[in-house]
Amino acid sequence: MIARASLFVWITAWMVAAFVWAPLVPVLGETTRVLYFHIPAAWVTVLALAWSMGHSALYLKRRSMEHDHQAAAAAEIGILFCVAATVSGSLWAKAMWGAYWNWDPRETSIFFMMLIYAAYLALRSAIDQEERRARLSAVYSAIAFVSVPFLMFVVPRIYYSLHPDPIINPRGKVDMDPRIRIVFLAMLVGFTGLFFWLQSLRVRVARIEHRRGEP
Amino acid sequence: MPSNGSSSGAAVWAILRKECRSEWRTRYGLNAALLFAITTLTSVSFAVGRLTDRTDMLSALLWVVLLFAALASLSHAFVREVEGHTLTLLRLVASPTAIALGKLLFNLLFLAVIEAVTVPLYLALMGAPPPRWGAFLALLGLGSLALACATTLVGAVISQTRGRGALFAGVSLPLLLPILAASVSGTRAQWLGGAIGPEARLLAAYAAALLAVSLVLYDHVWED
Repeated sequence: MIARASLFVWITAWMVAAFVWAPLVPVLGETTRVLYFHIPAAWVTVLALAWSMGHSALYLKRRSMEHDHQAAAAAEIGILFCVAATVSGSLWAKAMWGAYWNWDPRETSIFFMMLIYAAYLALRSAIDQEERRARLSAVYSAIAFVSVPFLMFVVPRIYYSLHPDPIINPRGKVDMDPRIRIVFLAMLVGFTGLFFWLQSLRVRVARIEHRRGEP
Repeated sequence: MPSNGSSSGAAVWAILRKECRSEWRTRYGLNAALLFAITTLTSVSFAVGRLTDRTDMLSALLWVVLLFAALASLSHAFVREVEGHTLTLLRLVASPTAIALGKLLFNLLFLAVIEAVTVPLYLALMGAPPPRWGAFLALLGLGSLALACATTLVGAVISQTRGRGALFAGVSLPLLLPILAASVSGTRAQWLGGAIGPEARLLAAYAAALLAVSLVLYDHVWED
């Protein structure tokens, strides 16, 4: 209860700070503020995918349904944040680059993540038997894990990116206004907390469903 | 007789021969896949006409045609066993890895046959400039190997689900996109006279990674 309330206060406070306290970056102008929502959402997308894949590997090793609940829940929450990151990035791209979508490497890699999540969830929905569903979706997760580094490596080699990395790169951190950095890091912490809270809710529901013998 | 280390090569060979023989008896899969590949090729050729000087378009469309053909046909090897209720018997005879490797080799052979028909037709119909054959065939071979590795593994998973056909394309796609991207850019480089080394290495590395993961995972695909 206290944790939930403080998470709410934390995110709300920094959201207000993002609008009234943190300054704007010259080139980005008003669109600077997407930084505090878009990047944390993208970070949670990656975190959730890694979480899901890690628990899939653990499932194959230990065969405990708990790991399957964790993997499935992380995939469901991951796709939610993936959509949030994609939409916010796309709106930003319209404002800065003039088009919602142009297959920039970052757009491509987040699209691949979305495909992997969607395929994982589609696969789950197509298998009735619980143990088989857990096993086969864990196998798929492990295969997808092979493709992720290749996607991250192939795509940037073939296309060239306009994504404003320097703002968050270690090199660029020198230029980053300390207030921007504080709000950004605080939102990163807030979004991570939000992920683990949602994750615990979803896993608890999955445990109850499992005990009651529902799908 | 379950196979052990010494007889697994023989088991893989036996599975490959069995696949070829049962395919040859009906030729159902081959006919369907060839028809599908030629239909895709016809619609592409009809829609864009001859592209003599657009090597970027030529390399992209070539791999889209091959990808479609692979997606339409390569889950067949496992789905056939499940639909014919023969998988359990097959598993009594050979280990999961031997079955999977046999089917992988069969799928590779299958792709080679499809490509032997589709690729010359494609080059002729689209009015493509003559490729550099060494580089072109190397890319085709490596791309097919990677395609076969990915689709065989996904085919094994998908054969145990409901709605197999529809799911196969969607679930394979995240795994096939790196292959598509590297093959297309390699084929384009080949036509433009550039080096294909990076793309060829990438395809080989991806195929090797998929194969290595497959060997670990096939034991988990069938357990019940």
